[in-house]
Amino acid sequence: MKEQYARRMQVLFAAMGIAAALILAQVIRIQNSPEADVFRQSASNYAYELRTFYPDRGEIYDRTGHLLAGNKSVYEVGVNLSAVKDANSIALAVSGELGMDYGQVLNSLTNPSTGLSYVVLADYVEAQKANRLRQMKEALQQQGALGNLTGLEFKSHPQRSYPENELASNVLGFVNREGRGYFGVEEKYDLVLAGNPVQVLVPTDPNKAFEIPRALNGATLILSIHRDLQAEMETLLDESIQRYGAQGGSIVVMNPRNGEILAMASTPRMNLNEFWNYDKIYDQASDFNPPASSPYEPGSVLKVLTMAAALDSGMVSPGTTYLDTGVIYVGGVGIQNWDQSAWGTQDMIGCLQHSLNVCMAMLSSQMGAGTFYGYMDNFGFGHLTGVDVAYEAPGRLKLPGDEDWYPVDLGTNAFGQGVTVTPVQMLMAASAVANDGRMVIPHTLYAMVRDGREYQSPAQTAGAPISQQTADTLSEMLAISLESEASLALTPGYRIAGKTGTAQIPVDGYYDDTQTNASFVGWGPVDDPQFMIYVRLERPSASIWGSETAAPVFSLAAQKTVVLLNIPPDVIRQKMASQ
Amino acid sequence: MENIARLTHAYKTAHWRIQRQWVGLALLVAAAALMVAALYLDVTSQAAIAGREIQDLNLALTISEQNSADLQTQLAALTSSVIMRQRALALGFRPAEPLEMEYLIVPGYFVIEPPILSAPSRPQLSALTILPAYTQSLLDWLDEKIMSSARGWQ
Repeated sequence: MKEQYARRMQVLFAAMGIAAALILAQVIRIQNSPEADVFRQSASNYAYELRTFYPDRGEIYDRTGHLLAGNKSVYEVGVNLSAVKDANSIALAVSGELGMDYGQVLNSLTNPSTGLSYVVLADYVEAQKANRLRQMKEALQQQGALGNLTGLEFKSHPQRSYPENELASNVLGFVNREGRGYFGVEEKYDLVLAGNPVQVLVPTDPNKAFEIPRALNGATLILSIHRDLQAEMETLLDESIQRYGAQGGSIVVMNPRNGEILAMASTPRMNLNEFWNYDKIYDQASDFNPPASSPYEPGSVLKVLTMAAALDSGMVSPGTTYLDTGVIYVGGVGIQNWDQSAWGTQDMIGCLQHSLNVCMAMLSSQMGAGTFYGYMDNFGFGHLTGVDVAYEAPGRLKLPGDEDWYPVDLGTNAFGQGVTVTPVQMLMAASAVANDGRMVIPHTLYAMVRDGREYQSPAQTAGAPISQQTADTLSEMLAISLESEASLALTPGYRIAGKTGTAQIPVDGYYDDTQTNASFVGWGPVDDPQFMIYVRLERPSASIWGSETAAPVFSLAAQKTVVLLNIPPDVIRQKMASQ
Repeated sequence: MENIARLTHAYKTAHWRIQRQWVGLALLVAAAALMVAALYLDVTSQAAIAGREIQDLNLALTISEQNSADLQTQLAALTSSVIMRQRALALGFRPAEPLEMEYLIVPGYFVIEPPILSAPSRPQLSALTILPAYTQSLLDWLDEKIMSSARGWQ
């Protein structure tokens, strides 16, 4: 009996062993069969998926940490046609919420193009509206089949947003729906802000989840712009344009020590959240940011630099006198003062104080074209300053040898006629006088934050066209000339240096006496300049003179600047320095 | 005595006893294999769950970042220059004039520089710093050991 039982066991073990061996053999056969390769190939196709990661566009802040340009989520509202249960309900809900035509929506759902499985009904839908639709869909799904919005889908994506709307629009520029920056900082730093889209194979295997890459977002920019100062300058500019009947204008505030632009106001401005209105507001690209893009004949503000050249070359000193006869001939053409009067014996302070064209033409003539244009070239006229906003214009400085240069230009260029500059160029050139002879490059970038690290934007100088002694002497001369004439540019409590400008505008080849660009460039406090302001009013009708329009605007701008930048009056500063 | 020895010998050489020993050994091997398989299945499933959680967290992180950007933009709009000016005027404030400002001289006080907006840099965990023991499967580990042993013999 026992032997029979043992034999059965042996047979059973042998059968089970054979079955196991057969199963193993079959497993090995299947694993290595041609069909297995097909399955393996199919599996590997699903193992990775090609995905493009679009980094978020970097934000833009002002120097005090206020957001000037950020990102917000908007939605693409579409319909998955294969999942639709009630096209009428979808058309009704979408047309009601998004203000679309009911019939058109229904038609796109019921008669889609051949082969279409997904229809986009609307894009760039505000989050609030999309959320209301989503809530409606969920509520109806819970209630039952009737009025079902199944098939309605929402895909979010970022869109540029400008919380300050019009503020500093000329500096910021805008981003279109394709994500490209236009104008201002948005265009200048487009590549840095946008980051680089990354196309990668992403593993679907959860065990390889750590291999999923994250696209590095665009860099965040911190601008040197002071938001509140910018707002004040824009308000002041708008009020001044209205008060003096001007057609436009600019106010730029810069730190003459390092070139940081603190405010850059201009007209017209646009709501950056409605960038599609660009064509309605601007005629040409240079109108977007006139302080950097629109060169014009500056007039007498350029006398500051002619005097700087004359002083620096050693040709004159503040006490040097000359006899003003009211006319001087340069290149055979007579040049007169602004009032066609003779001012008699004048020193160089009087020359600046009374803004005498004859004096300036005399200085440039005596310096000679080589010296005069050499200085103007060193001051950067005719060249780009390198300011970091898009579409900077270089202006024009005609030089001897150019086809359209005439000998009289040596005289007229000395008082700002026949030469075109931008306000930013004037600020850079004049910064040499305010900053001990060293000229700083204007810039709007204060710092950049990338990958968790902040990179400061260093101040850059564009050479030293004049000596420190010349700069200090000229600053003092300009301050005295303002004080002597009780200029409207004077700022209570602060000693200011500066110069007015009244430039006739050429119309049909002739200078029109009734149309001028009124301007003022000034800085303060004279003993330790911390701000530099350029004011330009285009075609003021209340008065054509810069001394009666741009100068008081400068004073108001300076008063707001010292409050917002926390610059104590001279008396307090001197008391602090003495302690 | 002789009977006892004979019985003992018969017991040790009993056919059913040898068979039971073989069955026991087979069951022991099967149980060990089952334990290893169960352990491997447990570790693999836990790793898969963790991987899926990472994928979900990545998605949640993206959504959170979007929400954060939305809220930041909304906050900036609510505290924009125009709105703040309107609020200040409504509360009875007006812009200060330069000569209304009073400056106090505080010995030892220095002007505060503009804030640094970026967070201090910190070491980030990257895939390269994760030890293989936390990422490779049992088969990967066995494969690596076999390969390293093979290299050692060469």
